Amino acid sequence: MRDAKIQVCHLSKQFDDKIILDDVNLKVMPGESHIVIGLSGTGKSVLLKCILGLLQADSGEVLVDGEEWCCLSESERLKRMRNIGMVFQGSALFDSLPVWKNVAFVLRRQGIKKKEARDRAQEVLEKVGLPNACDKMPAELSGGMAKRVGLARAICHRPSIIFYDEPLSGLDPVMSDVITHLMRELHEEMQVTSLTIAHNMKLVRAFGDQVSMLYQGRIHLQTPGSELDSQDDPIFRQFIEGRANGPLDTNNLIIKGESK
Amino acid sequence: MISWFEAIGIRVERLCLQVGIYPMLLLQVIQRLSRPPWFFSNILSQCEKVGVQSLPVVLLTAISTGMVLALQSWVGFHRFGAESMVSTVVSLSMVRELGPVLVGLMVAGRVGASFSAELGTMRVSEQIDALWTLSTDPIRYLIIPRVIAATLMMPLLVILADVIGIFGGYLVSVLVLNQNPQVYIEHATQFLELQDLYSGLLKAFVFGGIIGLVSCREGFYCKGGAQGVGIATTRAVVLSAISILIADYFLTIWIFQ
Repeated sequence: MRDAKIQVCHLSKQFDDKIILDDVNLKVMPGESHIVIGLSGTGKSVLLKCILGLLQADSGEVLVDGEEWCCLSESERLKRMRNIGMVFQGSALFDSLPVWKNVAFVLRRQGIKKKEARDRAQEVLEKVGLPNACDKMPAELSGGMAKRVGLARAICHRPSIIFYDEPLSGLDPVMSDVITHLMRELHEEMQVTSLTIAHNMKLVRAFGDQVSMLYQGRIHLQTPGSELDSQDDPIFRQFIEGRANGPLDTNNLIIKGESK
Repeated sequence: MISWFEAIGIRVERLCLQVGIYPMLLLQVIQRLSRPPWFFSNILSQCEKVGVQSLPVVLLTAISTGMVLALQSWVGFHRFGAESMVSTVVSLSMVRELGPVLVGLMVAGRVGASFSAELGTMRVSEQIDALWTLSTDPIRYLIIPRVIAATLMMPLLVILADVIGIFGGYLVSVLVLNQNPQVYIEHATQFLELQDLYSGLLKAFVFGGIIGLVSCREGFYCKGGAQGVGIATTRAVVLSAISILIADYFLTIWIFQ
């Protein structure tokens, strides 16, 4: 049996008295596109930040490529980050840098010459459908363009794992579809492992090899993406059907987590 | 009764955490300074922001202070016929005290607010998290260049402010109060010692460090959205100004005792 690319074991996190993650266990296999779904405020982004080490978990382990991340020093973890790409919910582009410098940020940090880094950024921007955006500033981009630049930045250094934090939030249906296709294409072309936080069921159906539902601090259910509709768990069904009435407890949600 | 003690304990703990984070951050900055990367281009651009862009406000403050100081001290000295000492008071006050403190307060307002708002916005828009995921240490990339820039640029700004302040006093003394220009220059330099200059520059250096550290800490650890950035910016300016005034007193005691 293959080893998991990302393995979360008994992860727990609480803010003050509020338990956010309660003994979460999750495995993401190499080359798999794993999507974590759940109601807004259930702690999906906190889970992602704990995996990345942006938030310190209270207990539990995060193994990436079999290596325990929680025990790594900051400098060691920064080195490992070179294998990782992250697409943020709000794109998180650096306002003071033009698009190409945002995209080629890691390449420049790795000491790659300016021209070579720019050429590589241009190549990746073309891949995400923005061939003329190189010299634009982030403030000049629309939400969809910023999202694509964020995606280009995440893949430019050819990571082996990509994390997506609600990649379609704030986008219109057409742009959502464009980004979903782009994610699928890149995933297949680059053969990466990805972990996505999402609530958009269209994305989940198109992109999820495995889907886990986070509910009340735990992984409530995990299923292959192809078997979503055959699940008969009432909580899961209510979520994927997007119904207001049902057993889902919508009153006991958490506040947004704060990074270190 | 127990809950009363508990409440005090919680407040004391919070205060210790808030105050303790400054030496911790300073330690992190010092630890990182010994090893690359140093992000020289960031340091240079911050030096430009702190030094060059602060010049107008700093020089305006300095010249007006020098002019007013000359006028005010002339009124006092005129009462016992010692008008020629005006330049001595202007130069000593500017170099030893007013230069570093006033420049410190102006830079705290201008640069401290800018540092804090910039880092705070980066925090709430997840740009600082993005730096981590792009295998870049945000303390190295964001905080160290700003702390270095503030620490290095403050003494240079103070030197210029001292010169312009003394020149302001010269303008008033010579053009308004009809003092002999030769006497002004002679008395301005005659009683000035190197120690006065060093002490002013040492203060400027320390104040620069305080501004950089306090404003970066407030922005970097900012919480919440736009409101959080606003709070962080206000705190950065107020805490920097208060810290400068407190540090000034203790540095003065230490230097001149």
